[in-house]
Amino acid sequence: MAANNHRQALEGIKVADFSWFAAGPIAAQAMGTHGATVVRVESEAHMDGLRGVGPFPTGKTGYNVSGYYNNYNANKLNVTLNLNTDKGKQLALRLIEWADVFITNITPRVIERWGLTYDELKQVSPDIIAVYQPMQGADGPHRDFLGFGAVLGPITGINHLTGYPNRAPAGLGTNYPDYVVNPMHTLTAIMAALHYRNKTGKGQRIELSQLESVVASLAPAVMDYMANDRVAMRSGNRLPHAAPHAAFPCQTIKIQTVFGEADEARWCVIACFSDEQWGALKNALGDPDWADARFDSLAGRKEREDELEEKLGEWTIAQLPEDVMRTLQAAGVPAAVVQNARDVLESDEHLRERDYYVYLDHPEAGRTAYDGPGFRLSKTPAEYRTAACMLGEHNEQVCKEILGLSDEEIADLMVEQVLY
Amino acid sequence: MADQSSSALEGVRVLDLTGGMGAYCTKLLADLGADVIKIEPPGGDPARNIGPFVGDEPGPDRSLNFLYQNTSKRSITLDLEDEADREKLRKLVPTADIVVEDFAPGYLDSLDLGYDALRQLREDIIVTSITGFGSTGPHRDFLAPDIVGVAMAGIMWLAGDPEDPPNLPFGNQGYFSASAQAAAGTTMALYHRDVTGEGQQVEVSMQEALLIAQETAMQAYDMTKSVRNRAGARGALPISIPGFGPYEASDGWIWGYVGAPGGAPWSDLLQYMADEGMEEDLLEEPYKGVIDQLNIRFLTGLAINPEEGKKHLPTLAHINEVFTRFCAAKGKWDLYQEGQGRRLLIGIVSTPEDLAKNPQLKAREYYESIEGSAGTVRYPGAPYRLSETPWRATRAPQAGEHTAQVLES
Repeated sequence: MAANNHRQALEGIKVADFSWFAAGPIAAQAMGTHGATVVRVESEAHMDGLRGVGPFPTGKTGYNVSGYYNNYNANKLNVTLNLNTDKGKQLALRLIEWADVFITNITPRVIERWGLTYDELKQVSPDIIAVYQPMQGADGPHRDFLGFGAVLGPITGINHLTGYPNRAPAGLGTNYPDYVVNPMHTLTAIMAALHYRNKTGKGQRIELSQLESVVASLAPAVMDYMANDRVAMRSGNRLPHAAPHAAFPCQTIKIQTVFGEADEARWCVIACFSDEQWGALKNALGDPDWADARFDSLAGRKEREDELEEKLGEWTIAQLPEDVMRTLQAAGVPAAVVQNARDVLESDEHLRERDYYVYLDHPEAGRTAYDGPGFRLSKTPAEYRTAACMLGEHNEQVCKEILGLSDEEIADLMVEQVLY
Repeated sequence: MADQSSSALEGVRVLDLTGGMGAYCTKLLADLGADVIKIEPPGGDPARNIGPFVGDEPGPDRSLNFLYQNTSKRSITLDLEDEADREKLRKLVPTADIVVEDFAPGYLDSLDLGYDALRQLREDIIVTSITGFGSTGPHRDFLAPDIVGVAMAGIMWLAGDPEDPPNLPFGNQGYFSASAQAAAGTTMALYHRDVTGEGQQVEVSMQEALLIAQETAMQAYDMTKSVRNRAGARGALPISIPGFGPYEASDGWIWGYVGAPGGAPWSDLLQYMADEGMEEDLLEEPYKGVIDQLNIRFLTGLAINPEEGKKHLPTLAHINEVFTRFCAAKGKWDLYQEGQGRRLLIGIVSTPEDLAKNPQLKAREYYESIEGSAGTVRYPGAPYRLSETPWRATRAPQAGEHTAQVLES
């Protein structure tokens, strides 16, 4: 993804990024890495909460070094505007006048207080594409419900449906909807709206209710209830139309940790969606006696799935997951390593060859890894030019070049805690 | 009324050569108004045969997942293994703006239908390829059902109880993520073409589509060389923190995040319990004193100072037990709606039934009823609402339903 002289896809597009946490900033970052000028608006009075959440580089502290925040805020300019002041609100509208796209995931109540509703934005910028990502929508009885942090995931249904039925509905261990489903739905809508504006000159309001966006990704289970009165229950790693379809234990390895050497349990996945794949798996196992004709059909394998998984586990436990993957993939059986963060950063030769991770130098955090693009455009690839923006890092640049303020005006705004 | 308004992608034609992994990408384009022509093999897309089905009755137009992922598309059947049919496809290419496919890397090239061949037929064509691992690299030819993608992307490693095997996220999230990234990349390429007249290839690897969903795990290893592991229901904490994580209600589960910034403090939860006469002894010391300061800062302090922490453990355990009893005596909807009414960070752990009956989704008319050969089926609706160019969905096509209409026009 070397920088080139080619025009990038979104060159000339200006984005006023009033979002925070993940669902908004990730969508805005993808615009920035594809050539848009993105101005991220924050304030000492309303800082992005992720700045205070780790991980932090060893031995470093402060709100500019969070790996969580930084991963979603490369290629952005950062200006601090205190939106609790009238002058701050006026400057926000001037920035919006400049912008093609406005994006926020801040709760509707606060957006109304700050005067940033679509009707207000339209006054200063009639063809603005204004993007709102409320938790549950800008109207309806639950519009002011809080969905912060780990609470939205359970409400969307994914916790109930993921994991083993004998366990509490723990979900995915992350705030999963924040990172792909919501930002990429949002980006799709923005790009469609830009296409439409290019054709007609008309801007519009885009609203993505985070709840609605995630339920769209869990459709079959909801439809099964609405059509068949069936309430699907989480069922571990199995699927009705495949067997085996599970994670299997592999040989434990020794790893170095900050506390010294430790054991790490390793895992692989194996899946067969056809009798042909099962035949190939059996063959790769060396046609063991237990894998007799009873297992030759999907129905037979489903009926004896416990036994099937136990026997396969006895085979995998003596091997490294990387070896299981290579052996079985070569034989025509879907299999993979259950990778962890060390694996994806250090061991995965495929990701390395494709240069997925991007390493950027940051004035305070040093050289750290960023997730690369989730899609690759052959002629206009993503470019990661600058590391994550620091709080207020571009106040002067944004004030002068975009807002057209003089040095005196800037100084006054700082004293008045508007640029704050 | 909405039907008279424009669609965002009106006039954009998409040739849809996707199966399981990419069908949601072209659904997104179709529901935004693109003319998506799904090209199915003779006999139809095998995804038509995957349940659950409408009324539990198998049939090519009854698979719920298929019906959902193929709304607003037209369908023609072509046998890509047959040269005469490939020629029919080539004739369509000049009429198309976008081709989306999710075959194994190199397959379309082998049929002389890869990007270079398609570009000969339409120079500014956009070709989007969605695969497990992309078109380059040592894993490019790996078989990649959903579970392979989520395993290789680090997502499974983080999901589940430490005592269980890593958990598979429900619902082909690898496919969904790859499709969502592909829709974003494709529409971005379309905008670039609008401005410059230049087409290009869009490539999505399911693994890469999902890697960012590891949350902080990648950065934690990069910065501190520590591997974030799956932690189950209570997170990485050695004890149960009152009000954090899943609690069983009388009829299901709720999820608490009480005391986290953004929501009301624990003392408001205590007030709620007291209003219901179920606070037991929590208004007494030492419980009340701890509850008054029970927030993230307090808990972080306990983690940093284990001696101080140990002192409070029995108190926290008791508060947790009383809250557990409170939840067990109440319904999940009660706890959710009453709790949120008090601005407490409490979520319902929705089942599919809860989602179908959710009053917010109902008030916003989220679900769509669409008439088809299997009768009226209800669908999750728009993932986003565009004020000028409303999202809209029509029923999925029957296999080959539009073959004559498309090929003869």
